[in-house]
Amino acid sequence: MRLSISHETTYHYQDQVRASIQYLRLTPHDSERQQVISWQLDLPRPVRAQVDPFGNILHVLTLDEPHDAIVIRARGQVDIDELREAEHEGQSAFPFLRCTRLTEPDEALRDFADQHCHQRRDRSALIDLMHALNQSMVYTPGATEVDTCAAQAFAGRAGVCQDHTHAFLACARSLGIPARYVSGYLYSEDSTHLASHAWAEAWLEGAWYSFDVTNQMARPERHLKLAVGLDYLDACPVRGMRRGGGHEQMHAKVVVRPTPVIAVQQQ
Amino acid sequence: MIRTYFDEMYDGAGQVRPHYREFARWLAQTPPELLAQRRREADLLFHRAGITFTLYGDEQGTERLIPFDIIPRSIPASEWQIVERGCIQRVKALNLFLADLYHEQRIIKAGIIPAEQVLANEQYQLAMQGLDLHRDLYSHVSGVDLVRDGDGTYYVLEDNLRTPSGVSYMLEDRKMMMRLFPELFAAQRIAPIDHYPNLLLDTLKSASPIDNPSVVVLTPGRFNSAFFEHAFLAREMGVELVEGADLFVRDDHVFMRTTDGPKAVDVIYRRLDDAFLDPLAFNPDSMLGVPGLLAAYRCGNVVLANAIGTGVADDKSVYPFVTEMIRFYLDEEPILKNVPTFQCRKPDELSHVLANLPHLVVKETQGSGGYGMLVGPASSAAEIEAFRVRLKAKPHAYIAQPTLCLSTCPTFVDNGIAPRHIDLRPFVLSGKETRVVPGGLTRVALREGSLVVNSSQGGGTKDTWVVEG
Repeated sequence: MRLSISHETTYHYQDQVRASIQYLRLTPHDSERQQVISWQLDLPRPVRAQVDPFGNILHVLTLDEPHDAIVIRARGQVDIDELREAEHEGQSAFPFLRCTRLTEPDEALRDFADQHCHQRRDRSALIDLMHALNQSMVYTPGATEVDTCAAQAFAGRAGVCQDHTHAFLACARSLGIPARYVSGYLYSEDSTHLASHAWAEAWLEGAWYSFDVTNQMARPERHLKLAVGLDYLDACPVRGMRRGGGHEQMHAKVVVRPTPVIAVQQQ
Repeated sequence: MIRTYFDEMYDGAGQVRPHYREFARWLAQTPPELLAQRRREADLLFHRAGITFTLYGDEQGTERLIPFDIIPRSIPASEWQIVERGCIQRVKALNLFLADLYHEQRIIKAGIIPAEQVLANEQYQLAMQGLDLHRDLYSHVSGVDLVRDGDGTYYVLEDNLRTPSGVSYMLEDRKMMMRLFPELFAAQRIAPIDHYPNLLLDTLKSASPIDNPSVVVLTPGRFNSAFFEHAFLAREMGVELVEGADLFVRDDHVFMRTTDGPKAVDVIYRRLDDAFLDPLAFNPDSMLGVPGLLAAYRCGNVVLANAIGTGVADDKSVYPFVTEMIRFYLDEEPILKNVPTFQCRKPDELSHVLANLPHLVVKETQGSGGYGMLVGPASSAAEIEAFRVRLKAKPHAYIAQPTLCLSTCPTFVDNGIAPRHIDLRPFVLSGKETRVVPGGLTRVALREGSLVVNSSQGGGTKDTWVVEG
């Protein structure tokens, strides 16, 4: 499936921002599952791409002239191999066993993981865990904040995809399974669904498998991967700081739609 | 009487060791009132110079003067040569380990260190994976903590490869001794150490591939326990002392704000932990770091000394492997010994530790500064039981070692002079060459019988002499 993405993020500031810096992870890269056909990132000034510690494509945007708005536009086309379930990578998965503030399991999460997986450490166990978490944490926009940790969201029995993913990572790692956060886009016919999305990947039998708790999907058929990391903070599309500016208003407009591929048959 | 401790000044028969003879003669000839007066003078001078240390875990959060003892710790030059070679060997191996770990990982493939042990360690930094550093150096400034057992054998207690502190006390203690007792330095040849700041600056400059790079010292600020040292070293090297807010990143280059406009920064001697360096890459709540620093670093546009991710090599759970690292990377036998270490993450070693708690020293693998450790022989039954609970709950977070005797050195106490336990931290500088100034920081546990020398736990310091002749 070929997906066309258009993602526009606009920040408006109440006062002039004196200087700002953003880490942007808004450019997908090729993998076994996805092939980038075209991609363009429009920023207020040109920035050279680099690779971040997790292998994601990173742009660091620094603005030191006073400004009261920032517009970031990403658009392109990416082919998704719907049939491929897992992705292989050369790097060791062990670093993805460690906890972070956002993914530290508490007693309740550890018990929950044990209760649903027992001695099982395979994909079906994690699929059960994924369904169970979805039942225990009702998808509720506004129930949590961006810095809510897994244990808090789990205790509150509600959250969004970020919280679902953090809770899944906390459980998987507590079982000794390396797991990581994925940020990206999701295509859905239902336009009320958020196109910017987060899900988890777990390392099983030498490959990364996807677990989308929010949509209860263990096959990433409609998922376009932008970035991975230990948690939201590593993988989020935009992470920035500024001096001045006062109150901030952020608008994001994301459109993900399938695009017909004109097949060229070569026989 | 059975001698259980090795005393630095007196041998088993109570005779003054040769390298202390000059000092002992001087001590016998100097009237006690004069010594008492000089000791008061030293306190006053240290206080005036503002050489203090902030205590953590102290309700008042107060700054306290680190007690200075005027009886030096003295090492014969012949013995020092061995210590020096041993420290250099060790730090070379540790730097090679870090370069290997963040690149080919030959030591893991060779089966010497289990992959999970280092790669799942919180101190292992993905940001360093595959990143090439100038001269392949990670720990430019290292502190190697040494103690001596009952027979005088030197043991490495731990390596400090993150932001080792204490060198300012080494330098100030020497200055103080030379000021108060110049006659001692005229009577014998004591190796000088005052070139340390020059060597440090030289080391920092040689960490950068560019000629005559601009160097700054990055401090967490005046509330940090070692702020005095940060200011001291910047002044001694003649470079700027900056806080995170004084620096900024533009297009992956680091600049310092000055009254004359932005000035490029090439080398940062950072005394700030990894987690606080860049709020956009690590701890987002850090107000101490520089947003964008990690990206600039990974582009190769600025040098951090020490590098990010050195903590994985001085972690107490990795310590047991250092002797093997020396053999693996240098094909040499270790000159300095490691203390035998039980890894509580291993079930059989844990049960041994639990059965022998009253005789062991148990430490947190992530801890430093003497916080959160158990010294079995010096603890009450209740303290041991409380620790047992913590140990059982998180065995992987602890290691245990036999209680070493730790050598003693005569020290001024309330009622005269008495032996007190000491350790030694030489500072190893790795640049074009690997160098150590003769001596180091000697810390002394002032409480009778105490084996904890950390300044945060009521330790004092002594001047450290390497005596020739």
